[in-house]
Amino acid sequence: MKVSELYRGKAKIVWATEDPERVVMEFTEAATAFDGAKRGVIGGKGRCNATMSAILFRYLEGEGIPTHLVEQVAENELLCRRLRIVPLEVVVRNRAAGGISRRLGIAEGTPLARPVLEFSYKSDALGDPMVNDDHALALGLATPRELAQMREMALATNALLRRFLGVRGLELIDFKLEFGRDAAGQLVLGDEISPDTCRLWDIGTGEKLDKDRFRRDLGGVEEAYEEVLRRVQADARAAAGEPVLFDGVVKVTLKEGVLDPQGRTITGALHSLGYRGVEEVRVGKLIEVRLRAADHAEARRQLGEMGQRLLANPVLEDFAFTVEPHGSPTARADPAAAPGTEAGAAGADEAGPQAEAGAGTER
Amino acid sequence: MRFGVVVFPGSNCDADCYHAIGAATGARVEYVWHRDTKISGFDCLVLPGGFSYGDYLRTGAIARFSPVMREIARFAADGGLVLGICNGFQILQEAGLLPGAMRKNESLTFRCQWTWVRVEDNRTPFTLLCEKGQVLRIPIAHYEGNFYLPPEELAEVEGRGQVVMRYSTPAGEVVPEANPNGSLGNTAAVRNAAGNVLGMMPHPERAAEGVLGCEDGRLIFRSVVEYLRGSGR
Repeated sequence: MKVSELYRGKAKIVWATEDPERVVMEFTEAATAFDGAKRGVIGGKGRCNATMSAILFRYLEGEGIPTHLVEQVAENELLCRRLRIVPLEVVVRNRAAGGISRRLGIAEGTPLARPVLEFSYKSDALGDPMVNDDHALALGLATPRELAQMREMALATNALLRRFLGVRGLELIDFKLEFGRDAAGQLVLGDEISPDTCRLWDIGTGEKLDKDRFRRDLGGVEEAYEEVLRRVQADARAAAGEPVLFDGVVKVTLKEGVLDPQGRTITGALHSLGYRGVEEVRVGKLIEVRLRAADHAEARRQLGEMGQRLLANPVLEDFAFTVEPHGSPTARADPAAAPGTEAGAAGADEAGPQAEAGAGTER
Repeated sequence: MRFGVVVFPGSNCDADCYHAIGAATGARVEYVWHRDTKISGFDCLVLPGGFSYGDYLRTGAIARFSPVMREIARFAADGGLVLGICNGFQILQEAGLLPGAMRKNESLTFRCQWTWVRVEDNRTPFTLLCEKGQVLRIPIAHYEGNFYLPPEELAEVEGRGQVVMRYSTPAGEVVPEANPNGSLGNTAAVRNAAGNVLGMMPHPERAAEGVLGCEDGRLIFRSVVEYLRGSGR
């Protein structure tokens, strides 16, 4: 498939193929920073970046953003449409980090009131200087229409990637895109989307999971790349906005003070079997509900509503429930004993700090 | 004058009601399907006995979400007469149109027997041909007819005089021995606060012809006709 080398970059090699309209992008393990001043190798990076780029490009295509991806042809190779690259790098920032922090004196991590879009002129000799629209137009780097399109596509990509990565516990701090013109002259997203070109922080801990680990010698560089890939590959359903499967267990019990003839009869039977210590038996229902919902909170909300509207009769009964992602080890736990039990009506006080009281008397 | 008998999957007293109402009153009777979302022109809707939706989960719990129930709630809110018999009573409770809920009978057995009920209120559209204190002989047939309300709410319902019939002896004494299922206050029939919705566990349609051994049940259907005539329909 690869015929001859067209171009060798810092971390990628572009190969010509038999098809003049197609190229192969080979992702290497070479890492550089500070315009090549710092060099190194990140094991597994080629595979991570190629695979992650392929997944994200496919996702963006599905959402209506044209990209150069044709298919992943090897673990570190993507077959792509050949583009005439626009010599502008487009950076989108959601929080301050890197260049903007240095230039404007904003502390790293400061949220930006709106996404900030920057253009840089692609020139290693000049150190990729930041330019504005007037520069780009004056130098003939792009047409006014292309600049507007790049801005629109970059912001749309930002919104999509934030959602996609966000549900996987990754916050998109900033990222760089490159665009090119295809054979028909249409603007298409090119290059790659990976921890080399994105700043990604763990949403829970703020841990950096991107090339900053290499730039700043933070250690765990390879692990961070593998972790990002693992999260991007996992749970494709959730990212596509498809509902996730949950297992709910609803326990319906008779309210305090409601006579339970069944319980009384069973008490008598247990006594006759010799269990003299039995003081009271009350019979309720255990209902298992398997449901699809957008996320855990939504599953919880729905089960609470089901309890109130149908599963329990608020005149006679209370309900409590647990809900866990399908297949998790605690999914079938006893709803009364498990932490995080939700309770309807009475009993909410005893159900633990995470319990939410369902207004079980509301109908 | 038009009666509608609502048919749910699992209703089994619908044909009896259809026949008994027609025979007792001469009024027009039509079936209303549980899927109907548009019902009009009726003067009284009857929810008959049976085992709607198999009585799965709880009696009446599923039927209460039938499409027709939205129409019935609207009809009742506009003052239309609604009579729930046995399972129909349970459905109206689940729908929140009548107070209380039914527990399993205290005996834990299905009770199918004649009962005597004392009319506590003869000013309702369903009892106005009865004397106050009159004892009617009407049979029951249910497993879940053990009327329950929390004490405070029961006091409110009693305070408003919403208990329309109580199980009694043939002489009209409301005593525990006359209670077939454990209902609080020997309650056999309850109305809503406005008085236009009544639920009763005994089956008037099973005691509406001499050949069945008793005609007391006709009083319920004829009262409705009398009421509707009086109100100019």
